[in-house]
Amino acid sequence: MSSGWLTTALIFLPVAGAIVVWVLPLKPFATASTAVLFALAEVALWIDALARYDFSKPGPQLAQQTSWFSDLNVSYHVGLYGFSVWFVGLTTVVLAAAIAYAFWAGRERADAYYGLMLLLTGAIVGVFVAQDLLLFYVFWEAMLIPLYFLVGVWGGPGRLRATIVFVIYTMAGSLLMLASIIALGFSQGSFDMVGTGTNGSDWIFLGFMAAFVVKAPLFPFHAWLPEAYRESSPEVAAVLSGVVSKVAAYGFLRIAIAKFPGPTLDFRVAILVLAGCGLIYGSMLAFRAPDVRGVIAYSSLAQMGLITFGLFAINDLGLNGSVLQIVNHGLLSATLFLLAGGIERRAATGELGRLGGMARGRPALATVLMVTGVIALAVPGSSAFAGEFAILAGVFQYGWGWAVVGAIAIVLAAMYMLRLISAVLHRSPGPAISDAALDLRPAELGILVPLLACLLVLSAWPAAITERAFALRKPIDIQSIIAGHIPTTLCANGLSAAERRALIGLGVKLVESPSCSSQSLTTGNLESQSNLRSVLP
Amino acid sequence: MMGPNIVWYLCVSAFLFTTGAAGVLIRRSPLIILLSLEIMLNGANLALIAFSRYHGTGDGQIFALTVMAVAAAEVVVGLGLIVAMARRRLELDVDKLRTLRG
Amino acid sequence: MSAAAWICLLAPLGAALAITLAGQRLSRRGAGYLATASVGASFVAAVVVFVLLLGDSPNNREHPSVAWHWLTAGSYTFNLGILVDPLSTYMMLIVAGVGFLIVAYSIGYMDGDDEERRYFAYMALFVFSMLLLVQAGNLLILLAGWGMVGLSSYLLIGFWHERPEAVAAAKKAFVMNAFGDAAMALGLFLLVQQTGSLDFGVVFPAAGGLSPTVANLVALGLLGGAVAKSAQLPLQTWLPDAMEGPTPVSALIHAATMVTAGVYLIVRTNAIFEAAPTVQEVAAGLGAATLLMAGLIALVQTDIKRVIAYSTMSQIGYMFLAAGIGAYADGMFHLLTHAFFKALLFLAAGIVIHALSGEQDLRKMGGLRHKLPRTYWSFIVGGLALAGIPVFSGFFSKDPILSSALAQGWYGEILWVVGMVGCFLTGLYTFRMIFLAFWGEEKDGDLHAPEKDVPGISMGVTVAILTVLAAIAGFLQVFELWTPVSNWLDPVAPPLVVPTSTQEVVSSLVAVTLGLGGIGVAWWIYGARRAEAPEPSKLLEHKFYFDELYDAIFYRPAVLLAHGLLRFVERPLVFGSLRELTQGVRELGTGVRNLQTGLVRTYAFAIAASLAVVTLVFVVVR
Repeated sequence: MSSGWLTTALIFLPVAGAIVVWVLPLKPFATASTAVLFALAEVALWIDALARYDFSKPGPQLAQQTSWFSDLNVSYHVGLYGFSVWFVGLTTVVLAAAIAYAFWAGRERADAYYGLMLLLTGAIVGVFVAQDLLLFYVFWEAMLIPLYFLVGVWGGPGRLRATIVFVIYTMAGSLLMLASIIALGFSQGSFDMVGTGTNGSDWIFLGFMAAFVVKAPLFPFHAWLPEAYRESSPEVAAVLSGVVSKVAAYGFLRIAIAKFPGPTLDFRVAILVLAGCGLIYGSMLAFRAPDVRGVIAYSSLAQMGLITFGLFAINDLGLNGSVLQIVNHGLLSATLFLLAGGIERRAATGELGRLGGMARGRPALATVLMVTGVIALAVPGSSAFAGEFAILAGVFQYGWGWAVVGAIAIVLAAMYMLRLISAVLHRSPGPAISDAALDLRPAELGILVPLLACLLVLSAWPAAITERAFALRKPIDIQSIIAGHIPTTLCANGLSAAERRALIGLGVKLVESPSCSSQSLTTGNLESQSNLRSVLP
Repeated sequence: MMGPNIVWYLCVSAFLFTTGAAGVLIRRSPLIILLSLEIMLNGANLALIAFSRYHGTGDGQIFALTVMAVAAAEVVVGLGLIVAMARRRLELDVDKLRTLRG
Repeated sequence: MSAAAWICLLAPLGAALAITLAGQRLSRRGAGYLATASVGASFVAAVVVFVLLLGDSPNNREHPSVAWHWLTAGSYTFNLGILVDPLSTYMMLIVAGVGFLIVAYSIGYMDGDDEERRYFAYMALFVFSMLLLVQAGNLLILLAGWGMVGLSSYLLIGFWHERPEAVAAAKKAFVMNAFGDAAMALGLFLLVQQTGSLDFGVVFPAAGGLSPTVANLVALGLLGGAVAKSAQLPLQTWLPDAMEGPTPVSALIHAATMVTAGVYLIVRTNAIFEAAPTVQEVAAGLGAATLLMAGLIALVQTDIKRVIAYSTMSQIGYMFLAAGIGAYADGMFHLLTHAFFKALLFLAAGIVIHALSGEQDLRKMGGLRHKLPRTYWSFIVGGLALAGIPVFSGFFSKDPILSSALAQGWYGEILWVVGMVGCFLTGLYTFRMIFLAFWGEEKDGDLHAPEKDVPGISMGVTVAILTVLAAIAGFLQVFELWTPVSNWLDPVAPPLVVPTSTQEVVSSLVAVTLGLGGIGVAWWIYGARRAEAPEPSKLLEHKFYFDELYDAIFYRPAVLLAHGLLRFVERPLVFGSLRELTQGVRELGTGVRNLQTGLVRTYAFAIAASLAVVTLVFVVVR
């Protein structure tokens, strides 16, 4: 395709920016401004890509492919699926906000810091656009290098331990993924992710899942999370929870579900159980967390559980809801972490017991935190609510019990978010709050308000994303139905004529009955299969 | 011209190699260890030449020559180390030299 | 018509945004005027919609209008759409009309508060949310409005956020409503699964075809949302605490509009509830139980606003009863009159509280009828309307509900009896409040420094208007002689029950007698002081121990569970496993280190020995 350069540019523009700020002997101020300019240019590039993208077509677009190791069929293959566009957009926006926040807060060793941030941008975008397994792995690991330094050098007092735990944990997962990538690459004779069909091996699937569940993280693989989110600087925490965790969700969607439909269905219940546990567990701990970042960190754990719920519901509602919720949560947790950074700068502490009363005389801070908080607790009408509703309605179709778990989490989310809001804003001022603590400065508003504006626009129009995440569904292609996962008898209710013909051709017996109990499950399965078609080329 | 059966050459070679190996393992003086190493190498050389003769090709002899060149170089380094140790008045006992202990 | 409806919906939202974004650039007064004007514009637009709708034939009054797809997922589409029909127009008129009066009243009431701008922004946001709720064209948008009125209610209850009680009450209200929202969402999930849509136009015709289990579960979910929002049993405990908010907020949100949303929901989704008659009976039963319980608790309250709050719960109980037995138009009519007389009582109470510089305790009031004569007469009108005394509005709206109950078989007769007891209690607690506050001797002058009867035009005029409305609004519908409200609403929600004339006469006689009896007892004890006031019972003072019960079975276990998870899972298992792992690796390293002797000899021996072993193995295996 002619505009494939755009995807490559999305990866390498920030990398070029990183080299520029490293090489040019600029003053810290100039370094930081250059970095912000590069980040904004990246956002502009994404907007261009969004404008050129045709969401009605399936398959990767804006693609570019060049052979890399021809004997192993490894190639430099990049391209965007409908949902990847939103992942990339989230990355560029959150990273731009994070870099701008760092500029405002002032970081030592500016050239190294901004270089690493830009490098991180390039690596994350690379993960979202790579259409070759080895390239995917290269970007996946390239992400870890800047994070290692960003947490380990610029973090808080406990940064070393946090970094080591984080890096070792994620390395362990990603090495298993490497083994799986090699096995998958050799078994399909090519490392390309497009047009190579699916695979049915449970072991290869589990290798990939190891990397994803740690990165997300899902309960109980989250031991690295609280410390990494507490010890990094606020903007790095924003990137970690806003974007880096979404890489795992992307992996679930693009690799686990799309490449391994069989094993996905085999392990679906197990994954949903982990996600459900994480959802309740994270919410519970967020409710008791003693500091601002703790609440946000554990709520991230809960939200990742929710997103996983939707993905593994594997039906229209669940998948679309998850993509929406991924963008929502990315923006929300980034905003919340940056706000937490602002609060910590003013109070020199994030302990809830020592905060309070910040609403008095600080209308901007109060408004921004309140609006972000109520969207985060998914008040009906917000974009987060739209995402949660679609996810839970989707998972309800798989089994009502899962949706009940989700509904309990809705109540818990209200409890922990209101606790956070009240502890920071309400009551009389806490011991750590002096009258001199300022309201949000114009620069901070300049960073936070665009993020919040994105959320408000999405609240008014969540379909902006859900209408543009997956290509329009084609009639079911018989070849794409994996034998063994379709029952021999199906309820005919709710199936279109084309679907019925296809199924009868497949030897499935259709039953017409007003009260089919199997209807939801089976149409869910069919939908899942046809959705796989839109993920796959 | 037929010499003794190749087995005999190999027996001598093995005997030389074992003698050398025992020396390396048992003795403590670096000088003697170096000497024993040379004996091991020569045992190997003998085997190489014997096979070369047996197969009627020159490969083994070329290898033997290479081994001798390497052995010479090794002796130079080894003796140099021993001289350096002697100069620093270190006891010439390999059991005392265990800085590599974990 | 749709354009007017959209203007009605969006005007308050625009005002809320403008006030928020303008910040200091807008004067405090200006914020008040802007909010009032926007709600006024909504009311005008609602009237326009009403007039236009009046021109349509009665069976052709449904006008859906879709702005854009709000949420989509594959074949599912949920529109951002509104529905203009008689029911939604009826509610728009109430919300925008009463809302306009109360926001105008707030200009005087909130005058001098530091954060008037925030207050008016919240008020405008509330009106927008409430209009979104009543105008929604599908259940998802209805749920969005449902949640946003909860949010506005949270913001306004906790408006004075430096008071810990206000913050706690706000959180309690929100969390209890979150339970309701979750129940409702579950009902909607099931509905989506069964019908593939949430559009009124798709769902209601399909409701009859749902299996009984499904219909019951969906209706139960909706009922869960309704009881939480309308503070009915068993999710009623948040409403009295919500009185921590400013008084106009209590009038608008916790009396006239938001808390009646549950009734609106049941009437709106009557097709679903009719497919689930059991749940409908449950709704009526809950309403009856709540009206009795709230009436009893109101007898012992000492805070003037809490008495009115419990009476609100009790009156909404009547509306639930009506909606539950299928007397939809009667319930909606009572909703209308209740909005007038309860808003009146709250606003008049606001004047009293304002005059007494913040005092709300009835025991510290007394003899106010001399100092606040006009407020006193407003209270009397509101009280008589509340107690259902003829010619005042409550009489015309409450009695049809009770007579309909009488026409509903044995179950209805039980409900009727409960409702009648409620009538007696209503008269008793209402006039207990009035006699305590306005009769008797004047108390310590220090507390009582009412500057003037009516503090300002905005408060005085609005209360006067409401007084008139509370007095005469009943004539909008006079039994079966003159029924414009029923005629208007019946196409949307045809009644399931029509009482006979005999039943109406009997019911009205008994109700009025009991109401007057209640007033008489109140006069005997609190007005004329002919008898000693009985000791309040512990059970009533503790509100039947619901707060304590929920604390013990929900809140404490949740906190304990969270602590337990932190202590027994997070620290030992998640972090602990990590520590064990690193410890294990370290010990392994220490063990392996011993192999490293530093003796070249041992290394050489190891090489030789392993070589020998390998050779042996090689030879043997060969």
